[in-house]
Amino acid sequence: MNENKRSVFAGILGDNAVLSGLMVISPVIVCGDHIRNALVLIYAFSTITFLSVIISSFVPRKLPYAVKIMIYAVISSLVYLPVRTAADTFFPDSVDRIGIYFPLLAVNSFIVFQSEVRFFRMPRVKMTLSLLFYIIGFDAVMLITAFIRELFAYGTINSKMADADTLISGLGEPFGGFIFLGLMCGVYRKIRSMVSRSKNTARGETDASGK
Amino acid sequence: MLKKAKKERLIWLDIMITLSALELMAYFYYGVRAAALGCLCVGVSLIAEVISQRAMGRRFTADDLTCTSDALIISLMFSAAMNYKLAVFACIFAVVAAKNIFGGRRNMIFSPAAAAYIFILTSWSKELLMYPEPHDHLGLTEKPDELVYSASHTFNITGKMELTDFEILMGNFSGPAGSLSVLLLVISAVMLIFRGDISAGAFLGSVSGTAALALISPVGESRIDSVGYSIVSNMVLFASVYIIADKRIAPHRDFYAFFYGFFIAAFAYVIVLTTAKENAIIMVSVLFTPVALGLKNLEKRIDKAIDQEKNEAAELLAVKEQKGGATYE
Amino acid sequence: MHLVNDLIVFLAANLILSQALGISTMFIAAGSRRNLVGTACCIMVFTTVGTMAAYLIDSALPSRLSDLRLLFYTLAVGVMYIGSLGAVYSIKRLDFAVIRKYIHLSAFNCAVMGTLFTISDKARSDSSLMNFAEYLKFGFEAGLGFITAALILTAAYRKLNSSKVPASFRGFPAMLVYTGIISMAVYSLK
Repeated sequence: MNENKRSVFAGILGDNAVLSGLMVISPVIVCGDHIRNALVLIYAFSTITFLSVIISSFVPRKLPYAVKIMIYAVISSLVYLPVRTAADTFFPDSVDRIGIYFPLLAVNSFIVFQSEVRFFRMPRVKMTLSLLFYIIGFDAVMLITAFIRELFAYGTINSKMADADTLISGLGEPFGGFIFLGLMCGVYRKIRSMVSRSKNTARGETDASGK
Repeated sequence: MLKKAKKERLIWLDIMITLSALELMAYFYYGVRAAALGCLCVGVSLIAEVISQRAMGRRFTADDLTCTSDALIISLMFSAAMNYKLAVFACIFAVVAAKNIFGGRRNMIFSPAAAAYIFILTSWSKELLMYPEPHDHLGLTEKPDELVYSASHTFNITGKMELTDFEILMGNFSGPAGSLSVLLLVISAVMLIFRGDISAGAFLGSVSGTAALALISPVGESRIDSVGYSIVSNMVLFASVYIIADKRIAPHRDFYAFFYGFFIAAFAYVIVLTTAKENAIIMVSVLFTPVALGLKNLEKRIDKAIDQEKNEAAELLAVKEQKGGATYE
Repeated sequence: MHLVNDLIVFLAANLILSQALGISTMFIAAGSRRNLVGTACCIMVFTTVGTMAAYLIDSALPSRLSDLRLLFYTLAVGVMYIGSLGAVYSIKRLDFAVIRKYIHLSAFNCAVMGTLFTISDKARSDSSLMNFAEYLKFGFEAGLGFITAALILTAAYRKLNSSKVPASFRGFPAMLVYTGIISMAVYSLK
């Protein structure tokens, strides 16, 4: 895979927004204890982030940095309004449970600050693809976290009883989220370093055989 | 370096001897289940330590046996009727999440036993805080007919302990398996302090903090009784010896260690007095970890300043001597 | 006695330890003493002034339009953000390059926006909180809470980034677990 393609797919594994950049972690820690919460957050994050970043990419580059940041935040706050209305219709129970984390998703550092560094320097098609993979990366982490925490904290999978005989209720609390996410980050880094090491070894072998 | 490693091993050995004595006492009061719980904790901790050392790319050495003393501390803080599975969770949490993630014994931040205790408390408080009666000997897989609240719980609620002094001294009352034998704990504390295995400052600070607060604002009617009961209940004495005075965590200088222990005890006493929270000292000791780290950072800075001053003085002396020599020549 | 209980309540209500708001900002703030002071001061100013603005917005906005809070809060924080940059530029031009990064870091983050939403939600469920002083107090306490949490992390920062920590866990993962264990101790005392 060439460097260009790799940077597009980076959002899933190589440079995951949550596990690598520690962005948008508050909702994962506090609300990522249940799949139904996770689904609402995934919907909200994916829609708001995708639309906001795409719209923000049309903001003139020449404006001063602070003004651009403010405009990005205002755009995502405006995108939040229809997304919220739709969420009230599709997920009426879960939206209340998520509380303040729903609006906070709209002003997360990923949209407001990182879009400037990560996306707006790319050509638009590549940016859209890369953004999609970053969003999928967040969604995957959110879903995995919620699945594991719900299973071990409450003994359910998406509110349906599962056969878990010992429940760790602390895992459903914010401190459980902190510890679990910390462990997950460590495991993610370990896997990433193993993958890059094996790639380097393979590349070294190819170079040696080429010579 | 070699001397330090040797000292570390001797400290571990001394602590293990005192903990084994407490474990023996637990066996006397609660039967084979208490001993089995201790063995299980030691075994699981050892396995977790070996696996996590391998995962970190390090070799397991005799120095890493400190995990076994932490395991014994955990088992002694539990009820003798504790679910084996929860004991396994606690030991894995202690070794992996509270110790080796931060770099293991060479970079300790939390007391692994205290962190594991809180981990169990937050998820299984009922299993943790209900105890069998002493002399209720339990078989390996046996469960007691009835579990009772600890004597500390009764003391926290009523301000009274309906026990004779002898019973208190021998630990003949309901509570954690090994943290009750007051006489043994006192002997252990004295021995460990004289051997330099625990921080004397932190231990004395913790005991005097509890005593001072119990004198100023007694739990019961009598101030003297309040002092005595406050020290022997809520695992104050046990935590003072094995958690607060743990040399890996407490500040090195006795002066700082004293205030570290004092404030933990005072804080915990107020919490017990106002909310009747059982064994608050364990939670407070974890909460005070940043304080211990801050004090250690301060100690390092002081040591550095002293070294710098000494070096400057030595350099000045050398320059003077050189000048003197030159004049003489 | 009351002091200890107040301290426990203060820690239990800490937006970072109990709600993970502004956690990544805190990780950056705890990196050095300079970062800590700079970011903490900025967050304190933003939460305190922000809650004043939130009070004005909440009292003017009808409850059926509560979804518009985000937009108005964003505008208010945005005005504060540009205003503070302008103020620093005109007053301390020499230090502008240093101070502006703390302002960038503090303006749009969960610690500030989370504080505004938390007090707003509290005031909606308890009308006695719907006054200027309560909002101001909450904003100030949130700022103090951020400083406290950052200090807790600063104490262990060197150890958490030490070469003795396994490479996979060095830095952020170890910080998350450390914060989690402290948060667990606070939770157990609640």
